[in-house]
Amino acid sequence: MASLPQLIEEDVHELERASQELLVKCDAGAALIIDKGGFLITQCGEYREFDTTTIAALSAASFAATQSIASLVSEANFTSVYQQGDTFSLLVMDVDEFCLLTVIFKSHISVGAVKYFAATTIKQIARQLKKARRRDPGGGLDLSEMNLADPAPLFRKKSA
Amino acid sequence: MAIINQATKELQVKIVYYGPALGGKTTNLVQVHDHVQTAQGNKGKLVSLATSSDRTLFFDFLPIEAVAIKGFKTKFQLYTVPGQVIYNTTRQLVLRGVDGIVFVADSQYEKMEENVKSFSNLEENLKTLNISMTDIPCILQYNKRDLPNAAPLEYMEFLLNNRETQAPAFSASAHKCEGVFETLNMITRLLLHKFINESSRKAA
Repeated sequence: MASLPQLIEEDVHELERASQELLVKCDAGAALIIDKGGFLITQCGEYREFDTTTIAALSAASFAATQSIASLVSEANFTSVYQQGDTFSLLVMDVDEFCLLTVIFKSHISVGAVKYFAATTIKQIARQLKKARRRDPGGGLDLSEMNLADPAPLFRKKSA
Repeated sequence: MAIINQATKELQVKIVYYGPALGGKTTNLVQVHDHVQTAQGNKGKLVSLATSSDRTLFFDFLPIEAVAIKGFKTKFQLYTVPGQVIYNTTRQLVLRGVDGIVFVADSQYEKMEENVKSFSNLEENLKTLNISMTDIPCILQYNKRDLPNAAPLEYMEFLLNNRETQAPAFSASAHKCEGVFETLNMITRLLLHKFINESSRKAA
């Protein structure tokens, strides 16, 4: 499976800018850009009250599950999952082959408005990721800084 | 596949615990969650999407940050799959974007057929994602070694690890937290070595 490209500061900045713009336009609470494998890429807005790591994993799983159901009924045009709540609503939208956009917004806000403004944001995100993919993915990150010669285990068990 | 964020120097890696039903996959995650020594905020909540009888329905999920890596925030996301045969579509979804596999085998004699079938199922499901078993770090964990009807390790090795490149294998009794951290540390180490090798290959 192909993966999301490596992201540099410029990419993250552009993704955050696009998400922030969306939040202002539709008055939503938080916007998360998520890899379809369940990883959180960026988060914007009032996200601190939420466990965004878990929301990312569950959004990706929920989207994948609903997409599978859609394909079972021969529905190819499947692009979003909407969950309406009493306080908050949630919209998960397809960005490209690798990526999703999750918007959390107060339930009194119209989902139509969020969808309308998010259409532009999705294009901006997809464009930036395409740009990142075209860039040399190998440069810039020196993984050799990780000290794997250190024999200490990465995870330790608490002593009783 | 892993996410490398050069802006924040963050590496996110997905590890999936695979294996037959009731083999101890969820128990592994519960033990890691309960016993791991981490800095404040480095361990997330253990999320279980399970049935009312506590059988895994979709997956269990535990996000956890490694401690001893210099200068890098390395986030590991641990997932389990539902082991029951009927949930194969769900297993395929959870495998999406996987970086490393821990295959949790049940050591009881009568579970050998299920172990072998589950391992073949893993190979088939990886194939649908265009991943070969040789491309992805994999660890075998022979769980439930404390049970009186546990099959000999040599027999399990013959059934599950009989190939050109053998996977590292660990004995475990996950419910006593024996072998759980040894398995986790080996898979994380293999994954980091893989990323470093790939990184230096690209740099060359």
